[in-house]
Amino acid sequence: MQILAAAAPLWRTIDQPLALKGLVAMVGLLLIAWQLWWFLGRQGGGVAARQSEAGLQEITILVDGGYAPSRIKVKAGQPMRLAFHRVDPSSCLAQVIFPDFHKSLDLPLDATTSLELPPTKAGVYPFHCGMNMVRGVLEVE
Amino acid sequence: MERELARERTLLRRKVSVAAVLTVLVMVSSLPHMLGSGHHSFLPFWFTSPWTQLILTTPVLFWCGRDFFTGAVSAFRRHFADMNTLVAAGTGIAYLTSLFTTLFPQVLIAEGLPADVYYETVAVILTLVLLGRLLEARARGQTSEAIRRLLQLQPPSARVLRDGQPVEIPVSMVVVGDLVQVRPGEKIPVDGEVSEGSSWVEESMLTGEPTPVAKATGDAVIGASMNRSGSFTFRVSRVGADTVLAQIVELVRQAQSSRTQVQRLADQVVGWFVPVVIALAIAAFVVWFLISGNPVLAMLFLVSVLVIACPCALGLATPTSIMVASGKGAENGLIFRSAEALETAGKLRTIVLDKTGTLTRGQPEVTDFARLAGGVLPADTLLALTAALESRSEHPLAEAITTYARSQLKGGALPALEGFEAVAGRGVQGLIAGQQVRVGTPRWFEELGIDTAAIQPLVERLEAAACSVAAVVVDGRIEACFGVADPLKSSSAAAVAGLRRLGLQVVMLSGDAKRTAEVVAAQVGIERVIAEVRPADKASVIRKLQEQGEGPVAMVGDGINDAPALAQADVGIAMGTGTDVAIAASDITLISGNLAGVPAAIELSRAAMANIRQNLFFAFAYNVAGIPIAAGLLFPLTGWLLSPMIAGAAMAFSSVSVVSNALRLRNFRPAHLPLPTT
Repeated sequence: MQILAAAAPLWRTIDQPLALKGLVAMVGLLLIAWQLWWFLGRQGGGVAARQSEAGLQEITILVDGGYAPSRIKVKAGQPMRLAFHRVDPSSCLAQVIFPDFHKSLDLPLDATTSLELPPTKAGVYPFHCGMNMVRGVLEVE
Repeated sequence: MERELARERTLLRRKVSVAAVLTVLVMVSSLPHMLGSGHHSFLPFWFTSPWTQLILTTPVLFWCGRDFFTGAVSAFRRHFADMNTLVAAGTGIAYLTSLFTTLFPQVLIAEGLPADVYYETVAVILTLVLLGRLLEARARGQTSEAIRRLLQLQPPSARVLRDGQPVEIPVSMVVVGDLVQVRPGEKIPVDGEVSEGSSWVEESMLTGEPTPVAKATGDAVIGASMNRSGSFTFRVSRVGADTVLAQIVELVRQAQSSRTQVQRLADQVVGWFVPVVIALAIAAFVVWFLISGNPVLAMLFLVSVLVIACPCALGLATPTSIMVASGKGAENGLIFRSAEALETAGKLRTIVLDKTGTLTRGQPEVTDFARLAGGVLPADTLLALTAALESRSEHPLAEAITTYARSQLKGGALPALEGFEAVAGRGVQGLIAGQQVRVGTPRWFEELGIDTAAIQPLVERLEAAACSVAAVVVDGRIEACFGVADPLKSSSAAAVAGLRRLGLQVVMLSGDAKRTAEVVAAQVGIERVIAEVRPADKASVIRKLQEQGEGPVAMVGDGINDAPALAQADVGIAMGTGTDVAIAASDITLISGNLAGVPAAIELSRAAMANIRQNLFFAFAYNVAGIPIAAGLLFPLTGWLLSPMIAGAAMAFSSVSVVSNALRLRNFRPAHLPLPTT
């Protein structure tokens, strides 16, 4: 097994045409730029919660490989209810945590679980899964 | 939830087994290629064919490793990139390249390259990452063990009296007001008050106190504690979410879902970590292609970078330590309200201890009653007047004096009182049978212009014996003095010594006269005393200490009278009475009244923060060192080329080691707390 294989047959220099080298470099750079934009760029301005009659702001979030929507907009000073519908079997997503509210919620598979949060001051409150890998943001404005 | 996790773990275990068997076969099959030509003889030709390897690897990729791909795809659609993205991209690229070589070997041969396939790399990486996931899932299950153990403390059923007959019913059906019977060796199902019988009850599982507590009629009992010797009946006062146990569990849950300041940094890094790694991997491919012109070599670097990076280790570094530490605290009766409390407690420099109820038992007793030589009223009259006045006050000293006076009087009605008035921090006054009666501190009488010279020697003697002094003044004439002492808790001196050993400056705060306070302080080994502080001024004393730069400052108090001071302090520590955790205004609650919990909490905090630092350092260092090696940065210098398989192994075990390190906190033993034997 090549654990730290030194110059095995694999290590072989091949003269590639300059055009090909340029093409590979170009495609590589474009790919880098595109994926950075795709993953890190601000995708959409977030989804606003809808207003229910009782003054409660409600939104349903689909849990499937991530939170959809992952950027949720709510108004300050009003209570809110976030309903999480989990369809992703990964155990990582079986829990959602709102660290600023000291709240955690267990999400059973293929079911909707609601979390009610008290009225809050304006600000950005992140939330994430039990393993802190999948994240979303609650924007209170 | 539990069952779902168990089912998932079983499936994961099956996938790991299948993947392992197939991977071993693929590795054996690829052996001749690795060793070079000339070793074909001991294996049949068909077995070493790339096609066999393709057939063996495909189920590993598409069944065992399916979740990586589905996870990566759905995350991608949501503009997320995580662990799955890296593993799926790394193994997917290696698989597709090998598939191309299998189908069109002549393309590579024409280029002068060996038509090697890397199926064994794909299989090994997936198997190792799956194995790492399994180990991690198992270890992570252990981090929340403390909560599970707390929940298991409650017995499933209770013996409730219905029409005088004991009936066994599920705990969930017990209601407030029910009478519940408890026999020796049984667990107390819910909270309540003993109505009949007496016993010794072990509360160690909730308070961390190893010694059993005597319970008799009128005493409060806590659900989930263990009845030792006697039988008794109690009236249920709290059920369900209101019980002490449920509140402890809730507080620990809340702490576990909060985050520390250090974690905020790690979180930000995790956010852009994966896209940056993907960018580095592509860059490694491009650079190596430009240098060598060898697409297969460049592809191997790309795969290595993708699979060695481990954002999980970063994400898990703090939460796992917080989980284990707050659970460990709960086991010892130390309840942290948030991760920040756990974080700040370790950085404390000054700790302010309230005297009454914290260092002392908070149940003062009269030790001296002295009539003055110049007094005119007989002792019985004085006691009756004092009792009539003091029985209206809620001050602990007043309670002690009333109790004493009543016991000396042996019954009899008290004289009628008019115009009662309490002067905060001074004393009480009122009119009895036309005479103005005042009971209070000698200082108050000095302020009122009453000559206190006659009692000065007595006051000095009592204060030197750590007694608080209350003088009785009738119509402006000093008649008598009471000496009231509040005995120290047995744990106080050792706890103060423990705090000093931890390098903290210990300050005692008291409303008592300076001399009395200093005597008490000397008994427990405290040098700095702030005395004659009225209850309302405690918060400003804390603020002053903070402004003087002696912070972070912790305040230890009883949680009710000291609430403003506890809130002002950087860390407010409330001493529980063992029956009421509703004192959630504090950052840390000691379920037992044992002061030894304070140094233990600070030690636990320091241990947890050290653990978090180790985890973060390891996770950062691992990624910072691993990625450049995988990208081949060392190759020009040392000729090292990291096999993607080794990269996969390193990644799988980096997050396992972070979780395992956090689990070491389970072995934490505070030096200053007698731990329960269970």
